[in-house]
Amino acid sequence: MKRELIFSGIGGQGTILMGKMICTAAAKKGYYVTLSPAYGQEKRGGRASCQVVISEEMGSMNISEADTILVMDEKSLNDYESKVKSGGTLIINQSMITKDAQRNDIDVVKIPFTEIATEVATAKSANMTALGAVVKTLDIVTLDDVKEIIKIKMKPALVEQNIKALEAGFHFCNK
Amino acid sequence: MSKVFMQGNEAFAEAAIRCGCKYFFGYPITPSSEIPEYYAKKAPSEGLTFVQAETEVSAFNMVAGVAATGKRGMTATSGPGFSLGCEAMSYMSAASLPAVIVDCMRPGPADGEILGSQGDYNQLTKGGGHGDYNTIVLAPYSVQEYADFASLSFELAEKYRNPVVVASDGTIAKMMENVELPEKNYQFKRSDWACDGINGRSHYNDITTCGDGPEQWERFNIALQQKYYNIKQYEQRWQEMNTENADIIIVAFGSLARVCIDTVKIATQNGMKVGLIRPITLWPFPEKAFEKYEKTNTKFFVTELNAGQMVDDVKIAVNDKNRVKFYGKLGGITPTPVELYQKLCEIYQ
Repeated sequence: MKRELIFSGIGGQGTILMGKMICTAAAKKGYYVTLSPAYGQEKRGGRASCQVVISEEMGSMNISEADTILVMDEKSLNDYESKVKSGGTLIINQSMITKDAQRNDIDVVKIPFTEIATEVATAKSANMTALGAVVKTLDIVTLDDVKEIIKIKMKPALVEQNIKALEAGFHFCNK
Repeated sequence: MSKVFMQGNEAFAEAAIRCGCKYFFGYPITPSSEIPEYYAKKAPSEGLTFVQAETEVSAFNMVAGVAATGKRGMTATSGPGFSLGCEAMSYMSAASLPAVIVDCMRPGPADGEILGSQGDYNQLTKGGGHGDYNTIVLAPYSVQEYADFASLSFELAEKYRNPVVVASDGTIAKMMENVELPEKNYQFKRSDWACDGINGRSHYNDITTCGDGPEQWERFNIALQQKYYNIKQYEQRWQEMNTENADIIIVAFGSLARVCIDTVKIATQNGMKVGLIRPITLWPFPEKAFEKYEKTNTKFFVTELNAGQMVDDVKIAVNDKNRVKFYGKLGGITPTPVELYQKLCEIYQ
């Protein structure tokens, strides 16, 4: 059992936070979890991505091909579409990406994260909506697992809106 | 003891604090900055001394100062900062000071980039500073091992009265994994050689690196070399995976060794007999790991995140350069397991 994920976007979109939430949930269940982030020198605006490996044992932190890739901006789509495993899932942030994916051997899911998050909570929770969609593609971490982590890790005032955003993303994702 | 999901640098810093390293001197530089940040944050509540020096030159010499008193102190930096600290490395080696230095390697030369690299291998293992000296160099490949090296590095530094470098890199430094942190059970013991005031001693201790004529300095150097010989005898560390009956053995350290774990698996699935030797001590280089292959046809595929530095040590250890091939990746790019497997096939087809 091994799941490999990539989250990629622009600094400030919360891509690394999403990776941390998934990892914390999987680690709690006893998996060997590795998160390897990569970001530029910029505080905001540069590329921010992370690779997540959930497995039973230690292995490479650098992923050859991922089961699920989330792209939050168009440049990430250009860079990571080819890294999705055949039969895997590419989740596209439709709020920022107008371009279509080219591959037909993978599942492509397009979701307007910002609009959905704005509707159920606030635009700032768009990354939790995206996280909900990613969780839908996983079998080893459930929606409830991630909700628990949100309750533990986030400020009490933000828990409710983030859980709403998470659930909305999960249910919108028809994977 | 339960595990916590933590970043490499923060796990190292927390482990170092728990191991009694109460003094940190440094100048922030990516990808090492979380270590000084962690110390600065914890200093008030843990009673630590944290100094942000004006340059790495000062930070390294401050570490020399605290090590001279027999207390546990350290600095953390990256290649550009380590270059500035090399004078102090030479000094601390001659003065037999048990200091710990973390180098979170990033790709050079000069300022370069900020991702993971292993370009400081030669600098760390073959001097960097002047004169005939060596420092023990430990290269972690997981957050757990990084944290474990906090206590090991101080223990080795004190056992041999020699500086120890923890050779982390941009990937291991920033990576997050589950880690079990050490218990807080360090007991400080006053060292009989330390310059910590007379306080009941019958004499003042003195630490100097000035020679008293060539004959005396030759004797001093011979004694230093004897120490290095002992370290080479007793402290070579490495890890092996699937090496038994392997036709090809990959040699890789640090973050790249992690990638190679998967490369070995892919090669095995494809019917190849491929193993892995992971040097844990870069100095002393684990020559002993290669002894049993001397009169064999086993081939060695050395891969590094540099233009080929450790490969020289592998060639010396194997004592047959024709059986050693190299593949390096530059600029801060880490190859994927599949890329390395393809490279392996390309070389040995």
